[in-house]
Amino acid sequence: MPVNRADVVVIGAGVSGLSSAYFLARAGKDVVVVDKGIVGGEASGRNGGMVSERVDEPLLIPLAVEATELWTTLDEELGYPTEFTQEGRLQVAVTEAEMGDLLAERDVALRHGIDVEVVEPSAIRDMIPGITERTLGGLFFANGGHANTQLTVQAYAWALQDLGGRLYQNTTVTGLRVVDGRVASVETTAGDLAAEFVIGAAGPQTGLLADLAGVHVPVAPARVEILATAPVEPRFPIALVGNGLYGHQAVRGNLIFGGGAHEWTDVDLTTSPGKPNTPLIRNIARRLAELLPGAADVPVIRSWAGVVEQAPDYRPIIDILDCPSNYVVVTASAHGFGISPATGKVVSELVLHGESSIDIRGLGLDRFSGVGRGWRQERGWSPVPQRA
Amino acid sequence: MQVTLIDENPIAASMARLNVPQFFGQRFAGGLHDKSLMVERARAANEALAEAEAMGVDVQLGTCVWGAFRNSESSRVLDGPQLGLADNERSWLMKYDRLIVAAGARDLGLAFAGWDRRGAMAANGAYSLMRRYQALASQRMVVLGSGNLGLSTARMALDRGVDVAAVVDVSRSVRGDEAIVATLRESGVKLFTSHTVREAVGGNGEIESVVLVEIDDNCQPVAGSDKVIAADTVCLAVGLVPNVELLSLLGCDLSFEPELGGYVPDRDDWMRTSVESVFVAGDVAGFHDGMVLDTETARNQGRLAGIAAAKSLGAIDEAEAIARRSDLQAAAIDSKPTDTYANWIRWLQALLNAGGSEVFACPCEEVTCADLIDLRPPRFLDWETERTSPPSLKALAKDAPVNPDQVKRLTRAGMGHCQGRLCREQVALLLAEASETDVADMPVMSYRPPVRPLPLRVMWPHDESEQVRNEWAKWFSPTQQVLG
Repeated sequence: MPVNRADVVVIGAGVSGLSSAYFLARAGKDVVVVDKGIVGGEASGRNGGMVSERVDEPLLIPLAVEATELWTTLDEELGYPTEFTQEGRLQVAVTEAEMGDLLAERDVALRHGIDVEVVEPSAIRDMIPGITERTLGGLFFANGGHANTQLTVQAYAWALQDLGGRLYQNTTVTGLRVVDGRVASVETTAGDLAAEFVIGAAGPQTGLLADLAGVHVPVAPARVEILATAPVEPRFPIALVGNGLYGHQAVRGNLIFGGGAHEWTDVDLTTSPGKPNTPLIRNIARRLAELLPGAADVPVIRSWAGVVEQAPDYRPIIDILDCPSNYVVVTASAHGFGISPATGKVVSELVLHGESSIDIRGLGLDRFSGVGRGWRQERGWSPVPQRA
Repeated sequence: MQVTLIDENPIAASMARLNVPQFFGQRFAGGLHDKSLMVERARAANEALAEAEAMGVDVQLGTCVWGAFRNSESSRVLDGPQLGLADNERSWLMKYDRLIVAAGARDLGLAFAGWDRRGAMAANGAYSLMRRYQALASQRMVVLGSGNLGLSTARMALDRGVDVAAVVDVSRSVRGDEAIVATLRESGVKLFTSHTVREAVGGNGEIESVVLVEIDDNCQPVAGSDKVIAADTVCLAVGLVPNVELLSLLGCDLSFEPELGGYVPDRDDWMRTSVESVFVAGDVAGFHDGMVLDTETARNQGRLAGIAAAKSLGAIDEAEAIARRSDLQAAAIDSKPTDTYANWIRWLQALLNAGGSEVFACPCEEVTCADLIDLRPPRFLDWETERTSPPSLKALAKDAPVNPDQVKRLTRAGMGHCQGRLCREQVALLLAEASETDVADMPVMSYRPPVRPLPLRVMWPHDESEQVRNEWAKWFSPTQQVLG
């Protein structure tokens, strides 16, 4: 096998890896992205497409706010359409408890200077045609929005290639060769790739990949489900969260909504994880019909599932390690899509300068130094046993 | 043994209007709205239904299977395999020990200018409307395809009083049974070989006439050979595709067999698939033109699947299974296939050459053949690129074998109401051609539930458990539990 060379090898052609690769290529780096499958073939191209300021997770606010700003010019930046729509995000409450949560979230938002307002049920009905009369109120975030996940991943990939970046799809990583505390090369089914820096952005495989370099990155893969209806009129451009669901209406008109329980699962470094749906999609359908009674006659035309990863504290890990010292861990704990432009910017800064201009305190790997190898079993974050 | 037979026929008029599950082309009579009349007719059209009922089989008509769920390595929450069923009003789940999928075949869609007009239909849609529902509302039909599928469709239409104006094929000679050809000729049906359709035209979204054109040996239209034929219906009868959607959901291994209509389930000679509890029978196991006139092969497959399923549950022992198998007349479960895909490819090329590439490859999402090949973003985005050379399919193919799912995400071809039921073969063939890939090497465009469009209010789980209702997880948070 020939030895290829690049400034940076990114492992994982998901939204975090591709954004990182794009920002690095834009800064003049020679970048190769390797993926065992196709561009955005897993959760990056299968999620609900939500973009928000992450007020629910204050540590992430600086990153998420930067992302919402980068999103506004991302189509022009990349040169390809993402269908990004920034008409706001509405979270509605259908119970008193939820309304209390929303008011608490509003206080957090105000403390962080985020554009937020409480909306009355009558205003909600004007914003979302066909929505239930049962809402008690809502929170409106003006800078929230949504994008088309599948167009977005391809836009990053093409923009990377336009800058001379290389993309090796259907290429499996078989080893990370660590020499003198650095990853000297990435061993793949397409040959060895020598690199100055290596970005591990392998989503649910992030832990298995890091194992190849002798690093413990605790993430647990989980399968989640979502569905899409046929296109429906009238349209609403606002991202919507409520009745236990999150989602939006695509520019084409389809309602795309997900939610409900997840199932812990296992993955490997060579195959695409199984992603079956379960009868849970009926429960999602019911909640969507309850949330939008005006759409009850609209047919569901498709459902799908995706495998995401979770760190023990449900937060991303974005870190350049001490050892191997040229290895960057990027994993988003199932929230990678919305923050992806900022993730790419941060990773490129970590590679170029060793530090980021965006506050990522609290997202380092060292916070899990006390988490042992058996953590998933201890927490009950392992797959349930197979039935006979 | 407790046996349930589920069939989506008769289908609701609202589904027929959406060309679900076959290509009905909006040419059906008002009677289709009368469910009890349609049930009566569907029963009359199939005597075996009454026989099965007399033997104690629970026959559920007008019930579709929209999902099939079972545990696998990556999902373990179910307490046994189950089907998602629905009628027009509600959905429910049904558990089973053994499943025999005899889901038949669906219509092959091939694009020509005007095929999105009312009056464009295909063979299985026409068959259902004629034979099952007696509700075909066509006056004058042009049939595309002169194999047994096309010839039989034409003969059936004649028998029902439809004026069959022409049978058309791109091949140099008629492809199907000579006896039917003779009957058609006697009835004055014109047979146009080395011809294809240039377009179907008419006012108000209707088909009123069809323009045929002669083609040369390279499938190129011959100048000045256009012929206009008055017809309100164009019936595509070039091929049928095994209905493997449920088998795909179940995780049964599928193999691409171009002579059997594309992806077909791997199965043993007892009709068992790679999934132990699932058997197949009939067109779903593979369809070719020879099977149009040979109904015995499909019947034998069904009998074998039944014997094997009974044996696997211990209802009969191995000796009895073998004895019953040997009782089967002829016991043929395989028949000699013909050059199915080669014929489709020739048709597709002739249609493209005659009608151009600005016709809809995917009518649901209005994606033209050219949109598909150029990977154009959906038109509603009004995306204007400043680039002189936007990424093409060939560029995409350089990075990886072309994946129809990836192309679907970029162009929306196959993403509409029908989820590619009508267009997926054509899309795969166009992508293979444009990217210089063998169609056999292209991954199958994925199938997901529901495999029938199901209104939210129908999918609604009236049987929802208190636990799922009350312990619904919004998203990951420290307090949330695992499913199951």
